[in-house]
Amino acid sequence: MSLALIAALPFIGALVAALASRFGRTAATLAASACTATALAAILAYLPQVLAGTVVTTRFDWLPQLGLNAEFRLDGLGVLFAILILGIGLLIQLYARFYLDSSDPYGRFITFLMLFQGAMLGIVISDNILLLLVFWEMTSLSSFLLIGYWNHLAAGRQGARMALAITGGGGLAMIAGMLLLGQIAGSYTLSDILSQREVIQASPLYLPALLLILTGAFAKSAQFPFHFWLPHAMAAPTPVSAYLHSATMVKAGLFLMARLWPVLSGTEAWFLIVATTGLLTMAFAAKVALFKDDLKAILAYSTVSHLGLITFLFGLGTEAAALAAVFHILCHATFKAALFMVAGIVDHEAHTRDIRLLGGLRRVMPVTFVLATIATLSMAGVPLLNGFLSKEMMLEEAAHTAWLGNSWIVPAMATLAAMLSVGYALRFLVQGFLGTSRNDDSYSPHDPSWGLLASPALLAVLVVAIGLMPMTLAAWLVDSASAAVTGATPKAYIKLWHGLESPALYMSLLAFGGGFILLGSYDRLRALWEATPRPEAKALFDTSLNGLTRAARALTERMHDGDLARSFALAIVTMLVLAAYAFGSGSHVAGSRALTPVPLDVGAAWLVLALASLAATVMHHRRLLSLLLVGIIGLILSAGFAYLAAPDLALTQITVEVVTVVLMLLALNFLPATTPRETTALRKLRDGAVAVAAGLGTTLLAFALLTREAAFAPISAFHLAQSKPGAGGTNAVNTIIVDFRGFDTYGEIIVLGIAAILIFALVEGLLVTKWRIIPPATDPDAGDAHPVMLRVATRFILPIAMMVGTYLFLRGHNQPGGGFVAGLVFAIGLVMQYMASGIEWTSARRRYPYQTVIGAGVLIASATGIGSWIAGRPFLTSNYGYFHIPLVGEVELATAALFDLGVFLCVLGAVMLALDAIARLAKGAN
Amino acid sequence: MELLVAIAIGTLTSSGVYLMLRQRSFPVILGLSLLSYAVNLFIFAAGRLAPDLPPIISKTALGYTDPLPQALVLTAIVISFGMTAVLVIMAIGAYLTSGADDVALTQAPTDEGQA
Amino acid sequence: MSNLIIAPIILPAVLAGLLVILRPSIGLQRVISGAGALALCVIAVMLAAQADTPRAYFLGNWPAPFGIALMSDRLSSLMLMLTAALGLLVLIHVASTGWDRSGKHFHTLFLFQLMGLNGAFLTADAFNLFVFFEVLLIASYGLMVHGGGRDRLRAGVQYVAFNLLGSSLFLIALATIYAVTGTLNMADLAVKLPELPAGDSALLRVAAVLVMMVFAIKAAMVPLQFWLPATYANAPAPVAALFAVMTKVGAYALIRFGTLVFPTDLAATGTLIQDLLQPAAIITMVIGAIGVLGSRELPRLVAFSALGSMGLLLIAVSAFTPQATAAALYYLIHSTLAMAALFLLSDLVPNRRDGLTAALFMAAAVAMAGMPPLSGFVGKLLIMDALRASAPLIWTLILLSSLLTMLGLARIGSGLFWKAEAPRPSDSIAPFAPVATALCLSALLALTLGAGPILTWLEATAQNLHAPAAYIAALSLGAGG
Repeated sequence: MSLALIAALPFIGALVAALASRFGRTAATLAASACTATALAAILAYLPQVLAGTVVTTRFDWLPQLGLNAEFRLDGLGVLFAILILGIGLLIQLYARFYLDSSDPYGRFITFLMLFQGAMLGIVISDNILLLLVFWEMTSLSSFLLIGYWNHLAAGRQGARMALAITGGGGLAMIAGMLLLGQIAGSYTLSDILSQREVIQASPLYLPALLLILTGAFAKSAQFPFHFWLPHAMAAPTPVSAYLHSATMVKAGLFLMARLWPVLSGTEAWFLIVATTGLLTMAFAAKVALFKDDLKAILAYSTVSHLGLITFLFGLGTEAAALAAVFHILCHATFKAALFMVAGIVDHEAHTRDIRLLGGLRRVMPVTFVLATIATLSMAGVPLLNGFLSKEMMLEEAAHTAWLGNSWIVPAMATLAAMLSVGYALRFLVQGFLGTSRNDDSYSPHDPSWGLLASPALLAVLVVAIGLMPMTLAAWLVDSASAAVTGATPKAYIKLWHGLESPALYMSLLAFGGGFILLGSYDRLRALWEATPRPEAKALFDTSLNGLTRAARALTERMHDGDLARSFALAIVTMLVLAAYAFGSGSHVAGSRALTPVPLDVGAAWLVLALASLAATVMHHRRLLSLLLVGIIGLILSAGFAYLAAPDLALTQITVEVVTVVLMLLALNFLPATTPRETTALRKLRDGAVAVAAGLGTTLLAFALLTREAAFAPISAFHLAQSKPGAGGTNAVNTIIVDFRGFDTYGEIIVLGIAAILIFALVEGLLVTKWRIIPPATDPDAGDAHPVMLRVATRFILPIAMMVGTYLFLRGHNQPGGGFVAGLVFAIGLVMQYMASGIEWTSARRRYPYQTVIGAGVLIASATGIGSWIAGRPFLTSNYGYFHIPLVGEVELATAALFDLGVFLCVLGAVMLALDAIARLAKGAN
Repeated sequence: MELLVAIAIGTLTSSGVYLMLRQRSFPVILGLSLLSYAVNLFIFAAGRLAPDLPPIISKTALGYTDPLPQALVLTAIVISFGMTAVLVIMAIGAYLTSGADDVALTQAPTDEGQA
Repeated sequence: MSNLIIAPIILPAVLAGLLVILRPSIGLQRVISGAGALALCVIAVMLAAQADTPRAYFLGNWPAPFGIALMSDRLSSLMLMLTAALGLLVLIHVASTGWDRSGKHFHTLFLFQLMGLNGAFLTADAFNLFVFFEVLLIASYGLMVHGGGRDRLRAGVQYVAFNLLGSSLFLIALATIYAVTGTLNMADLAVKLPELPAGDSALLRVAAVLVMMVFAIKAAMVPLQFWLPATYANAPAPVAALFAVMTKVGAYALIRFGTLVFPTDLAATGTLIQDLLQPAAIITMVIGAIGVLGSRELPRLVAFSALGSMGLLLIAVSAFTPQATAAALYYLIHSTLAMAALFLLSDLVPNRRDGLTAALFMAAAVAMAGMPPLSGFVGKLLIMDALRASAPLIWTLILLSSLLTMLGLARIGSGLFWKAEAPRPSDSIAPFAPVATALCLSALLALTLGAGPILTWLEATAQNLHAPAAYIAALSLGAGG
């Protein structure tokens, strides 16, 4: 079976199990186990090949540009881990089936478990370090889900998040490390990388890459100082602890150290970092384990300690040590998984895992006791069990290791760790199972059904069998795995007896003696331990994470507190500073354009504009007044446009101004009439400074532009030249907006149309919403709302406005005017009628709903554009001819005029819909 | 004349910016309107000043001012009208539903807005 | 000259016009806008299929640069596809949750929104780009306050006001460009700017900085990002999902202008844009990540994650190398879909927290945090790979931001799905509500699995962008139509 398919099997299993879970727990388990078993069988089928030294590979391109490909390899190391993952996986599935309560959502559990299994299997058979990263982080994620499985427990949620933060965070560091490693090696394919030891170790990037990769590996394998997540991960259901947190996931870091051992190990840095961390972790965690009361906590710290042991061995960088490490991985997985399952059984039966409340289980749970004894003694390193063999190999290696020239510290630490290990192992057994029960007898624990016992029993058998016959049962697997690590020819000779001259023997004896003494004087040691202050890693982690979260919250809420003025000020200042910088760092030659003289009346108008502008600012608290001042500014601008040869602009500006002012006046009916004085002098000063700077900036920029010519001939020369012959109109501005750049206008009327529809929708919504404020000024019967004179006058004004509008519309193409202005003039006529006669009167006489007018405008403009398709021309290509209309004169009827009709309708509809909406709002207020 | 136009742009910008930096919606809207006047004048200025040379094609014309910026200003005026209208109605809506016309989201809306 | 190029603009406009006039039942509205979005998908794919050589469309049959021209190239068609696909997903969500009933004219505004977006992606004229910005903005104002309510309106006022400042800035920048160069067509600028007299360079640099700032506002770059959190968090969730592509308009425009108009080898501007963009992008990413960790509520958290994601995207954009641009485009697709998925989820979560929703949330969070196995991880790797030259600082910050995002998402996710009491499931409400989210995430999965071929296409896109001769040629060759 292809390796890729094997890698996919657990994921398929996850899916199948999720689906099967609706048929019960057994069905889900069977479905999952079938996939796991198939994968295991497929791996075993490769065994002969792999043992013969072949590396099985397979590859598919995924993202070759990056070097991230689906490349898989199976060698001795991969086989060992795959057998552990899948083999123990099967046992766990069986155990979990009986362990979990029927009220637990089992389908979710088995799905997560299979996801994890897939991710883990992926790690060990990846032949691409980026692909390995993908699986690596997936184990963090699936472990997060599994730890938080019992999500009603706060400990579960916190433990899950902590595990994710540490292992996932470590994974992020590893991303950088792997990218660096790939950069050095020129490839992300493991097979390529593994052959480049010299290149890699000579690279200046070696050390950063090493540090980053080790951060990831240490975080995953719970090495000091990242160890603390593992005990908190024990909130997970015990099958998870047994599987992820003893046998497999925590070994991923070890796997990675083994995998990259050929290229990373052997340097001073590697030894100092890896061996020291391992040694420290081994001793430190063993000490903590001695003083824990929760069975699972003891096992967790014990696991950390054993992981430290293996790390230490890899750190030594010798082939013999690597072999010992590989062997201990196998041994530890068997006895520790068994122990976790035993702890789970105890928890299940005695309803507590607190060792202080246990005791005397030997009598009531004899089978469990036997299993516990075998596994515990193996953990302690008692001869004839597999734990003894690998521990002995470790001590042997330690005995020969000097650390920075010091030849006794490593053996001493190793012996100490072994001693502590014996101590906590004995305590686990003695206080948990021997003596008499310290529990109140509300429960009567007894051996569980075969379903729970089968898996640990099988593992216990392995513990004994490997202990007795290591050469037959394990050596070939260990050989092949360590060969894959070190590249050396397999030469393992696992000895039960190292001989009297071996220092390991005496270290071991010392450890046993010490262990018994530790247990004998436990109460005094415990008192000492309780009296010593010690930093609690979880508290430290929680404090820093909470501190970080609080700081993040404070910063975020301070920055994004919704203060619009500050955002404006910051944006404007940024613009000014960047523009000034951009200008200052470029080269500038002042323009040479002659200045235009200023007639006196224009100067006077300018002065009025400037004063009105200032006054509007200073007197902004009086809203009506400032609005009128803004209106005056608009009128002067309109006059200015007229003077400066822009009649179309003048017409548009003045009509828009009228409509805008009307709109704002209506708005003032709803809003407060004055703005309260609420800003401090300092704030005014700041705002004033920003405002003056912005004004200065635009003045300078405008002046620089006004006094120079464009660097290249402006494209408008074409527009002037083609206005008449090409677009059929003498008003170049109009031909630009309806023809040359008609598409801008198309967009512009769409904007207006959307504005009106938006306003309509908004007001409709407002009319059915609760208001906190009822505007007072809209009483229809108050005073002289609709003076008769005005009412009568507007009935005459409307037709006049319509005539003027029509005239402007028709002549627009050649003279100032056009659909837009015409629409506004119509609208103004209608608006005046509104104001004079009131909404009911006008609405009643309104023939078409304004929405339809807008829609029609959009459609007519679109249809005009599309019409050119029929002639085989692009959108908005115009066509025109001249016609004589009485009274108006020579009129050009162009498709552009039809387009202008669309503009006209949109403008009229939009303005009217907006004003109508406000009127409806006023009506709603009553 | 060029200087006057440039200063007019600057003055309108200053007034607009100052009002935009106020706390209440109405002055902010007025400020944005003033800013849009300044911007329209600025775009117009991009075509330079040429009094008496309107871009109406005729045989007697001595020359034409640049028509393109004028067309752009037309588009800009219309768009800013639409935008202003929308902002006005939104501001009214925010005021009616929240009881306060502050533009900042910092201040919790109070029940006693001054109507 | 195929009218297909303009169809993505005209079709939604005509449909929206019809909706305004006919005002049909909500069911028919859904059918019309759904059909529109589907048609846009098809059109976009057809355009993408022909996008190997850029193709021009001359409006009014006027030659460039005198009239307005549209251009369909790989980048444009990519953005069109993304917009149409996202639009369709949002519509499915809206129809399945009934969001469109909570106010008037949802579908009209929605179609106009698509029109504005498509126009912005297609136009080759700088001022026309402004017009389409306004179209898409005003439609977005309408969508943002759809359904009304106090907080939404107050946030809406800010959103509109801030964008009005942006529009003013855009006009000033365009006027400056026209006054200095006498042209508005982007390709024409690309042709003319290398010939610009040295004495004009200071003014052009001002224009360049200002116009890029406009796009930075759209892309929510620090310090112009303030509008984003409140807007996205207060908008109706499906609208916020659609807005995922709005910030991308800013990114699109930055890419287009940064490669076509102001490339780094242009003497007048040089690396000015790049030098300013990159630090801002980095800070944006960090502030977004900090915001994710510091947010209390899901919508606000998602908004900040959107900000952080934009930061990472813009870091890649601001490198302006073909490799980084290709990575940026890949991440752009990812970021849009991931943001949308999370926003849609934020709409589901208050009403349903069953296994399916939890799984969807997990997947979306994984995608957003850039964790394996989804495309966020691939995108992040691509970006990091493309930015090796400046690795230590940028890599560190990228990874730290990922960590903060992951922590923030894990905290809020575990709070929502593990800690909080699950809402009582009610079969009567919206049985199909999760469909759009699921589709969104499926698209992310496809993006992940198909990363190889997709990246190949995007690499060609980036090549075209950084060597725009064909783009320019398409406009001049067709001149005179």
